[in-house]
Amino acid sequence: MELDSKLEALIKKQAKYESKNLALNLLISRLQRQYSLNQSPEQLSRCVQEMKMFFEKYASIMKNDIEELKKI
Amino acid sequence: MFVNLDEAAKLIREGKILHIAADESLLDKLPKGKWIGGTTPYFITEEGGTFSKDKLFVNEIPCAVDFKIAVYDRTNIFDITKDAYSNGMTMLIIPFASDVAVYFAKEAPYSADIFMNPTFGWISGFDLSTDSKAKVYDGANGVSYSDKAVAMHICLPDDKTVSLGIVNIFDIDEKGTKIKFYKDALTVSKCLVDGKEVVLSEYIEESKIDTKFPLVADYNSVLVNVSIKTVSRENGTVDFYAPVFSENEYHFARPISNYAEKFNERLKELRDVKPVFSCNCILNYLYGELEGKATPPFAGPVTFGEIAYQLLNQTLVYAEIIDK
Repeated sequence: MELDSKLEALIKKQAKYESKNLALNLLISRLQRQYSLNQSPEQLSRCVQEMKMFFEKYASIMKNDIEELKKI
Repeated sequence: MFVNLDEAAKLIREGKILHIAADESLLDKLPKGKWIGGTTPYFITEEGGTFSKDKLFVNEIPCAVDFKIAVYDRTNIFDITKDAYSNGMTMLIIPFASDVAVYFAKEAPYSADIFMNPTFGWISGFDLSTDSKAKVYDGANGVSYSDKAVAMHICLPDDKTVSLGIVNIFDIDEKGTKIKFYKDALTVSKCLVDGKEVVLSEYIEESKIDTKFPLVADYNSVLVNVSIKTVSRENGTVDFYAPVFSENEYHFARPISNYAEKFNERLKELRDVKPVFSCNCILNYLYGELEGKATPPFAGPVTFGEIAYQLLNQTLVYAEIIDK
């Protein structure tokens, strides 16, 4: 839940996070664009889920990013 | 590695899993095997940029557990994510100016799951002094296509994954001119420059903008270029090599005088990278006069577009297999 709220802030552009990982940066940018076009709670939830699925798949190389995201 | 036809054929006969870039005349002569290929006679080798119709650039894919080759057109190109191995990578080659290349360029940034599998590759090209066609090759059956994309899906061991990176030598001035487009497009007439509607072709001409330098958008700190193909004062249009997107804010890139120097500056931090694949753009090669100039540790085909999840322009793309 702690991470969810940080991801929501990121997707809403209320917080900023720049990764060294190309895919994560492109994903953040895409989700921010998607949300800016449809600022509904459902869309926000979909965007958060997509980012969490990405973290799940790349868990082994995303540890630092996840820890840093918790601090934003 | 930059090898002759016999050496490339030997690697194929040895059963190696290969990515091959070369002129069509050489790719046509290769035996069937575990390879995919695309056409270009331009390369940046370890010795420097070169034009060759006598040698092939070959990447051997190490530590592959399994692989499969698939051919796609515009109706199914985004099946690449579905077809990919759950722990793997996908090398994708698409012929320049094909329907599937245009479709991929416009739709990849919107494609679901595109970031769930590392997808990288290039847009194949041809000798610019001829009227040849860009092609891709499915080495398993030796068939070439000018209207289809070819992909090699590679399954990696559980303890390995792939890291994709790009090197963009262009910068933007955040306080400089801001450009917004009305819709996603490969050809543009009117747009907003600093909030004021202009005909972009007229603006470029009147402002004496050097079209060798791309438009650049910031994707959460990743600078993504869109290269200018043609400016037609007559038609009042500007054509791009990749689409511009209405949601993005674009800037004209800061001019660069010495591309090789700029690459070397950017590559300092990447000396330890051990790429399994890399490619660089034909526009960097031509405008930057990279013939004879190397970009270590990166060597590979010079391409008509680069792919790292989506189509990129005037960018060096690389892939590295790393431990999880």
